[in-house]
Amino acid sequence: MDADLLKETFLSLVAPDLPNDWDVEEAVENMAGLDEHRCHSIMNQVPVIWPVSHSLCFDYLKAAAGALACIEPAALPIWVNRTLDQYEKNGLRSARRFMADVEKNFLCPLRGESGLRFAEAAGRLLPYLRGLSGRKLELAAAPAVYTDTVTIFVPPEITLFQEEADNFFLYKLIITYQWAFIVQSTLTVSPSPENGKCGERAGDELWLQGFLRSFSCPELAQDLYHLLETARITRYLEEELPGLMRHKRELAALLEPVPRSGAGKPSILAALRDLLLQREEGITSSPDLMQSCRSIVSGCRSARSAHDSIRATMALYPLVQDVEPEYIPLEPLLYQGGLRLDAVRVARQALLAELEERFVDVLATRLLNLPGQSGRPAEPMFRREEQDASSPPESGIALIVAGGRDQATETAARTLLLTVNNKEIEVGEELNNLASDIISELGYLPAQYVTSAAGRAGRGYAPLRGTDEAGGMEELTAPVTYDEWDYRRADFRKNWVSLQEKDLPLLHSSFVQETLSRYHGQIVRLHRQFEMLRQAERFVRRQKEGEDIDLDAVVESLADSRAGLAGSDRLFVRLQRDRRDIAVLFLIDMSNSTQGWVGLTIKESLVLLCEALAVVGDRYGIYGFSGMRRLRSEFFHIKGLGEPYDDAVRQRIGSIAPREYTRMGPALRHATALLRRVEARTRLLITLSDGKPEDYDDYKGEYAIEDTRHALLEARAASIHPFCITIDRQAHDYMDHMYGAKNYIMIDDVRKLPRRMPELYRALTR
Amino acid sequence: MDNMRLEEHRIEQEPYYLPQGQEVALAEAAYNSGLPLLLKGPTGCGKTRFMQYLAWKLGRPLITVSCHDDLSTSDLVGRYLIKGGEAVWTDGPLTLAVRAGAVCYLDEIVEARKDTTVVIHPLADDRRELPIEKRGELLLAPPQFMLAVSYNPGYQSVLKDLKPSTRQRFVALSFAYPDPEREAEIVAREGGVTGDLARSLVKLGTMTRGLKDSGLPEGASTRLLIQAGKLMGRGIDVRPACHHAIAEPLTDDPELLQAIDEMVSSVF
Repeated sequence: MDADLLKETFLSLVAPDLPNDWDVEEAVENMAGLDEHRCHSIMNQVPVIWPVSHSLCFDYLKAAAGALACIEPAALPIWVNRTLDQYEKNGLRSARRFMADVEKNFLCPLRGESGLRFAEAAGRLLPYLRGLSGRKLELAAAPAVYTDTVTIFVPPEITLFQEEADNFFLYKLIITYQWAFIVQSTLTVSPSPENGKCGERAGDELWLQGFLRSFSCPELAQDLYHLLETARITRYLEEELPGLMRHKRELAALLEPVPRSGAGKPSILAALRDLLLQREEGITSSPDLMQSCRSIVSGCRSARSAHDSIRATMALYPLVQDVEPEYIPLEPLLYQGGLRLDAVRVARQALLAELEERFVDVLATRLLNLPGQSGRPAEPMFRREEQDASSPPESGIALIVAGGRDQATETAARTLLLTVNNKEIEVGEELNNLASDIISELGYLPAQYVTSAAGRAGRGYAPLRGTDEAGGMEELTAPVTYDEWDYRRADFRKNWVSLQEKDLPLLHSSFVQETLSRYHGQIVRLHRQFEMLRQAERFVRRQKEGEDIDLDAVVESLADSRAGLAGSDRLFVRLQRDRRDIAVLFLIDMSNSTQGWVGLTIKESLVLLCEALAVVGDRYGIYGFSGMRRLRSEFFHIKGLGEPYDDAVRQRIGSIAPREYTRMGPALRHATALLRRVEARTRLLITLSDGKPEDYDDYKGEYAIEDTRHALLEARAASIHPFCITIDRQAHDYMDHMYGAKNYIMIDDVRKLPRRMPELYRALTR
Repeated sequence: MDNMRLEEHRIEQEPYYLPQGQEVALAEAAYNSGLPLLLKGPTGCGKTRFMQYLAWKLGRPLITVSCHDDLSTSDLVGRYLIKGGEAVWTDGPLTLAVRAGAVCYLDEIVEARKDTTVVIHPLADDRRELPIEKRGELLLAPPQFMLAVSYNPGYQSVLKDLKPSTRQRFVALSFAYPDPEREAEIVAREGGVTGDLARSLVKLGTMTRGLKDSGLPEGASTRLLIQAGKLMGRGIDVRPACHHAIAEPLTDDPELLQAIDEMVSSVF
């Protein structure tokens, strides 16, 4: 196809946008040589990419001709989808890189020839690790394998094996080894627990770091120690997880480096490694040396703790330190990973700081809540203590740890006693757990934790988590991102919309009062109607089983049998309990188009509905939504699901006002997420809107309808019943498609809404 | 006829029970003082087995009622039935136990509605009496009668909690999974597997119990481990046995299932 025609096609596809001529010409240049069919298939994808990113679209056009050299035109949409995934996850550059190598990035994974990416395996690996460790360790991808005792870092992708299962196994092996390093305290080893532990303080370097620095070549000492520990951990795992290690041996040939060929004699450390991991005899230039190493190494076979490895390191170091003129670090085994003591130190510091903060916080709260101890009387004492924190014996508060010191009871439950002015006070489970965490990290409970808690309590501190009333709109939470459905792609635009939950300002208005008096008669009727719904318990007669005898039925049955008829066996009365287990969320369209009496009527309907619902006792929440463009979708809190219908709610209903546009999808998704957290037999999501979903950007027309439809489908998949009430003059044919034929109702005269809505609700929840 | 019904509840053979602490002595002391028992603990940790053992040891029949949210007072106390044109009173399990001086065990008591739980109040304090409203009768419990209830604090919602007025009538025993050695002993004995296999099963069980924060409401109970052992005893291979007796009963989540299978393949 010739360039002019291509350009024209392109411009018609992106209309009404008007890109620069030269950009377009440059982009379609590559396509000039292609046949018409290929050009069409390339152009077909333009509407998918253009709204996401214009520059990506130009890049795509440049790359597509090349891509078609190795993929079929039919596979092009898949390729485009992957590219967009990359773009949405990692940005334009990453998408460009992805497009650059079709073979490696797209075709290989498609054929299943690629390695296993961490992101794919994480869902299985994380629970595996948590189960293994029994505590909250994290997993993350990083260029090198190591652990800082809080997180285990693994490669972002493993491509060593052909089979995915083997690659997965390698992930598992790496994680298991790193976990074992943590539980066997390879990284956090310290001199014998009886002495010296109290010297260690938060912020100090690890004992191991100091130990390794005492050697003339710390790197060598570190590698020696790491090697000895790896050997010990291997034995530990052989015992603990025989299945895993059996599989490891099957793959051993591939897992461990091929004996160095040609590069001359192996380094002493490599020889030691072979020796330690019980493979073939190390071949080195100095057999004598190996002989003496061997005796030390065989002593290590029975090593039970990191201390044994420390001792062995001290024994081995003098033997090997002078063998090689210059120490060349040994590439660690893949599952062995690296030893990063600085990372461990930082992580431990962070952990301790967090523990301290929580401990002080909880203890301070506990002190403040002591009966008779709160407020005035305690204050002077705490004050004095704050000034003189160095002398805890004088203070009225002491924490006593019972049974913590000696080794035998290390794991047994420690009891924490809190005494205030020599009176013993129950500390509660949380504090107890925190204290034992701290003790297991530090070996003791620092006195300053207690004094700073006392100081905090003295200042009348209470953790203030709520936000201050800062006038106007209040941001309640961090923004949440949601995907958006693009029907042209038949896939989501990932993390496309950012939604912010906000609070409506409290306005003092007489709106609710006026509405109540205007609809007074109707409200009385509504109350009566809704009371009928409340029927929680009632007796049902003529049951086969029940608490009591239904005398009428018995008399009838007796009469029947006397008369020669078969008597009924339904002779009992049963108390039937119907629980109304319903949670409803009302979603109010607060777009600009509801300006005027439409908005007013919606507000009136809400007041009537709240009155009616107060009688039934169903849980319900009211939220509004509006916004402009995908990065500022707003979700207004009017009434939470558990919140009582009080003055604040009434004032917020009064302050519902038209705002900007109607981006329905994200609001529906957020409402779904809120409802999902609620446990109820029936969960309803009722939307009140005045027509088409529409936003300022390309969220309009078919795209908006399809996204809204998809959001509703997602709600249904979460077993939430969506229902839409639309206020419009005339029916539109898209409504059936968007909401589903039976899931919406159209109200053509808005004045009917206040009366219809409670009725509708009754019908929906019966 | 009631005697026949009662005999079915008598436990003839000593049930296998490995004490975890001094719970047996405590329970016996409570029995001798006429105090009711409250057992708490996760599912499948041996609460019911403990009750069987206790009933055997005391030589009393054991009447167990599994509570559910439709259990009414008359399901416990009894009701009139129409038989051949006459109204005949039939004792419920609780009344039966009181009359015969048996041990009555209400399993998962919080599942029952709060108004139902109230009928046990007069039985559970020093009055030890059961009023039967419909017959105008007041039953006095003989010294041999014992009331025991159990519940699982793990998965109860706020709605389903015992009222303090109910709780504060009981001697409470807290059950947990036994420590690894004892649990292995139990699994070996009940599941009929070797000691090594039992220890590996217990290791696996402990691992699944570490998954609490990852979406598993409760880890594998001792009961599940025993069941896996039983399957193995019937010639099923270790991995399928663990998959079907442990992983699948625990969760439907595909990733957690795979993670548990990975643990199985590591441990065995």
